[in-house]
Amino acid sequence: MIQNKQIILAFRFLIGAVFIWSGIIKIIDPLLFAQDVANYRIFPQSLSFLIALILPWIEVSCGLLLVLGIWSRAAALMISGLLGAFLILLVITLFRGIDVTCGCFGALSHTVDYRLLLLDSGLLFLSLNIFFYQRRAAS
Amino acid sequence: MTKGKLVTQIFVLGILSIILGLGLNFSLVRRYLQDEFSHGFVSEEDYPNITFITLPEAEDLFLQGEAAFIDSRTFDKFRSGRILGAVNIPFEEDHTEDSLKSLTFPLDKTLVIYCDGSDCQSSVLLAKVLHDRGFVSLKVFFGGWEEWLQEGLPIEDDSE
Repeated sequence: MIQNKQIILAFRFLIGAVFIWSGIIKIIDPLLFAQDVANYRIFPQSLSFLIALILPWIEVSCGLLLVLGIWSRAAALMISGLLGAFLILLVITLFRGIDVTCGCFGALSHTVDYRLLLLDSGLLFLSLNIFFYQRRAAS
Repeated sequence: MTKGKLVTQIFVLGILSIILGLGLNFSLVRRYLQDEFSHGFVSEEDYPNITFITLPEAEDLFLQGEAAFIDSRTFDKFRSGRILGAVNIPFEEDHTEDSLKSLTFPLDKTLVIYCDGSDCQSSVLLAKVLHDRGFVSLKVFFGGWEEWLQEGLPIEDDSE
């Protein structure tokens, strides 16, 4: 895990900005995101709807906290959890061979493929670094 | 930082997101509870020309012969069995525009769009695309191919 304070700061800003942006795009059009979630054909309609209303706010609040440096550990852990869940969802979708847009960035989302797996894994690596660095700093 | 503090912060963030998400979308929640989105997340305000129909309504439209049936499933599925006379416009991300070139119906033609069954989404997605193209009478038959087949209604395939 990376121990350099400046690099971790850059990670915080990068992950924070990505999640604020992706959250705001989904908040603007919740029905579009709800349809994107439903397209994965894993969640029932009611759960897709709830995810579409609540998840973007988690993304924005965690993103803001990371940028501001408040509750960074909690925010990084939540974001890591989300990215881990997205990763599992992407793998399942690729295995099932469903042609679907990821829904990650609203209307700018693209089809689920291996590049998305790499992007997701990269972001997960950054957020886990933030979490473990903050843990060391706190102890 | 203790584990307890971390859990508390995560809990607070979760509750805050639930309050914001449900509170600021209260009108959507109300419309959901009124069953507006039970078959797809299609807003009646944004897509006034899309309606959802049941098997008896689809059968009526079929017997009247005035509506065109659009199959939004893949070409392979379409070839192996479809509603009699249906046209295939497979809904695939990034490729739908090419498929739409074969659609020559006038914009006021009633189109009945279907896919596999109630858990597939391509019929709803295709209906949205067709709505944006100016079609004014779009009916999504959400029971789809499975319901039609189960009922023993007229079908065809490429082996005939």
